[in-house]
Amino acid sequence: MVVLNKVARTALAVPACCALLVGCGSNTDSSALPREETLYLSGQQTGDPTTFNPLAEAWQCAWPVSGRFNLMYEPLVTYNTLDGVIEPLLGTLVSELSNNDSIVVDLNPAAKWSDGVRVNSEDVKFIFAQGTINTSDQISAIHVDTLRAKDSEEFTERLSFIVAKDKRNNPLSVMDLLQAVRIVPAHVFNALIEKFGSKDEVKKQDMSVNPLTGEAPVVSGPYNLKDFSNTKITLARRDDYWGNAALHEGKLPAPKYIVHPIYKYNEHNTIAMREGKLDASMSYIPRIERKANSGVHTWLKNPPYYNPGAMPMFIINTTKEPLNNKTFRRALATAIDYKALDQFAVSKYSGDMKPGLIMTKGLEAKYVNDEDLGTYGVNMSLRDAQKIDAVKAMLDSVGIKSVWNDDSTLSHMEMKGQKLPTLFITCPAGWTDWEAIVKIAVDGMRKAGIDIREGFVDGGTYWPAKGNGNFDLIMDKPSADVSPSLPWDRFNQVMGVARDWQPIGSWAGTNIGRYNKPGSPEYRPEVDSLLNAIPLMTDEEQKTAAYHVLNRIFMEDQPAIPVVYLPEQFYEFSDRVWTNWPNEENPYAPAQLPWVASGTKILWHLKLAK
Amino acid sequence: MLKLLKNLMKSPMFVVGISIFILTLLVAILGPLFYNVDTNFRDIVAGPYAPSSGEHLLGTDHLGRDYVSLLISGLRSSLYVGFLAGIIATVLGVFIGLFGGFRGGWIDEVLNMLTNLFIVIPQFVILVLISTAVKDGRSLTLIGLIIGLTAWSWSARAVRAQASSLRSRDHIALARINGASSLTIVVKHVLPYLLSYVFMVFIMQVGSGILSEASISMIGLGPLDSTSLGIILNEAKDNGALSDSIWIAFLPATIIITLTVFALYLINTSMEGVFNPRLRK
Repeated sequence: MVVLNKVARTALAVPACCALLVGCGSNTDSSALPREETLYLSGQQTGDPTTFNPLAEAWQCAWPVSGRFNLMYEPLVTYNTLDGVIEPLLGTLVSELSNNDSIVVDLNPAAKWSDGVRVNSEDVKFIFAQGTINTSDQISAIHVDTLRAKDSEEFTERLSFIVAKDKRNNPLSVMDLLQAVRIVPAHVFNALIEKFGSKDEVKKQDMSVNPLTGEAPVVSGPYNLKDFSNTKITLARRDDYWGNAALHEGKLPAPKYIVHPIYKYNEHNTIAMREGKLDASMSYIPRIERKANSGVHTWLKNPPYYNPGAMPMFIINTTKEPLNNKTFRRALATAIDYKALDQFAVSKYSGDMKPGLIMTKGLEAKYVNDEDLGTYGVNMSLRDAQKIDAVKAMLDSVGIKSVWNDDSTLSHMEMKGQKLPTLFITCPAGWTDWEAIVKIAVDGMRKAGIDIREGFVDGGTYWPAKGNGNFDLIMDKPSADVSPSLPWDRFNQVMGVARDWQPIGSWAGTNIGRYNKPGSPEYRPEVDSLLNAIPLMTDEEQKTAAYHVLNRIFMEDQPAIPVVYLPEQFYEFSDRVWTNWPNEENPYAPAQLPWVASGTKILWHLKLAK
Repeated sequence: MLKLLKNLMKSPMFVVGISIFILTLLVAILGPLFYNVDTNFRDIVAGPYAPSSGEHLLGTDHLGRDYVSLLISGLRSSLYVGFLAGIIATVLGVFIGLFGGFRGGWIDEVLNMLTNLFIVIPQFVILVLISTAVKDGRSLTLIGLIIGLTAWSWSARAVRAQASSLRSRDHIALARINGASSLTIVVKHVLPYLLSYVFMVFIMQVGSGILSEASISMIGLGPLDSTSLGIILNEAKDNGALSDSIWIAFLPATIIITLTVFALYLINTSMEGVFNPRLRK
């Protein structure tokens, strides 16, 4: 009895001590900011912030200087993923003057840096020449014209981005760059280069303050860095932001502060959202419908809850036996249970999958030929025995035999009497939705007689494997951002043009599956010519026909297997503190957090909950 | 043996412990005969985290798999790891403890130093490091092996102390005079005195093995090819069961682990009460 008492006492004491320690360790200083003036957003920053330098590599930068966030530094224009319109920001696209030779943008005369200096063409030239994004393959020069009314001091700078005809010759990529490259103040960075001796030395500065003045960094966006720690990054509103008058009828953004709490795990986002401590997040939150009672919502009220924008897929290494056989690749695609993927791996966020590389919903849908999907695509709706029979027939046709164990589990595959090695789907470990996708896909393939296994690896193995082609199949999300160049960019990422083809072992930025090797018997020159021609097509009918052919080839050759449709970025919001978030019934902005592209305008529309 | 069992059965603690433990063994071994244990079957109609129903007694997990199936399969795996780790840790610990304790001298010094070294290095840290290093091909057997190889030190220390005290006993001296070899003395004259003790050590090592497996699996470093109770907990944690307050994803596995280890603890404690004259009433 004495022993039992001891056990019981220990059992109570240990959790109590743990709870005390956890309680003491939790960060509660976020309450220092008034809740009714603070917007809490999360989902981007998961590690300690290191640098806020816009010249540093994107992967090094902390939010909101990393990625395409435009709260501090802004691009020339933004892309509205709802209607495909290029919206003005630091500049305005002059569509009537833009063509395949050049894209023309007028700089907004009202745009100013936080130190009062006008945003000018030198700033644009500086970042396009010295920024981390290499633009030389797309843009050969930036011409500047000054437009001035007679006898007026007012002037507008007109920038013509000349398409690099002798290189990529791709106006679509130029459009992508204009909405992706954030402009930085050249007068500040040139002075810094002078002070520190070189651009490389400037890149080493963390730029959380302006090293020239010791004050806040010089930015053009509506918010500036207030403070940061390893638990959160706080931005403060700039009431003198030039865009309030020029773009938002003199209104101020509703939140005075924006805080990005740093959560290391997705789960923490979910819990904070349910508790009303977080207002919006772009993290993957499973079973969103279960959070509605806690005031957590997303764009659509019903499945798939989000607007599709990205297409996670298995990229196939087409140089390896038997993956170099397109019928075998189609067998892989047929064997997957897409309904189970939607239901269990991505919480019904995918909706019905269709074959092909063009999104069948949203802005891309106009390029889909429904007839072709039935004729050339694999049948994604087969179930159980039908599916297994279809895969078996495909395997038989290429001479592959599945060998089963006595307990009806798959042993291995044989081809011409030789045992084939087990295939692996490489996937980063710990990405729960991707892991679930791979597990379910592997399960379906093995049931159908294909010897394949999960290959969960850490990031240090995944990224080199992806670039060097050191994989059988690899989980990837090409063209993760919705941009003006879709669906062309997705085709280019997956199928690639001949000039970008790289052998296994050499780093490939596109076509990591090494599909359509130039000079090989399977080489299809039409892929190359279509990928080169589409960006220059101005006639919609011609462009649609070209996409039909390209999608047909993709379905025939199956160099990759799209597995689910997911949003460009997850968009969940809580209306417990802030209301008037855009959704399907109130679509004044795209389903994006108010920190990127056209989604930033949400800040001027938010209202406090009563 | 029968007398021993009779003595043990007089202890209510032993009766409760052994009953619970036999029940867990029966569920693990005979469960699949009475319940369809297919841990790969996903019920698309029921969906993820479906509530309890006639078809799924405890509902389904995030992949639509029946929880009872998973628990039966998980219990088998956890017991397998526990027993494997227990056998390895006990054999290794008894061998090192006996050898060092009986031989004495510099061999004892070296083995004692090694044992103490393993005691002061946190076992869980070693477990985590080894499991992380063996990222591909982590199987149930490998996890059991790793746990066993890192858990022997306490057994060795305890057995050494017992063996040391036996070394100077008269019957050992007599055996030596009669020309018995060291191996014969250890096997015939030392080990029988320690058997009850070794058995108790083994029981605790099994319990500790089950807990270690659950802990290592809970943080995502468990076996990759099977379902264990720790993996059930890990998958529930990683797939949002906590934030959705889906307690059924955590409770049954936790209760089964607790009951199994608690049963082993009761068996151990009650045996100590019987075997140790000082504790005997």
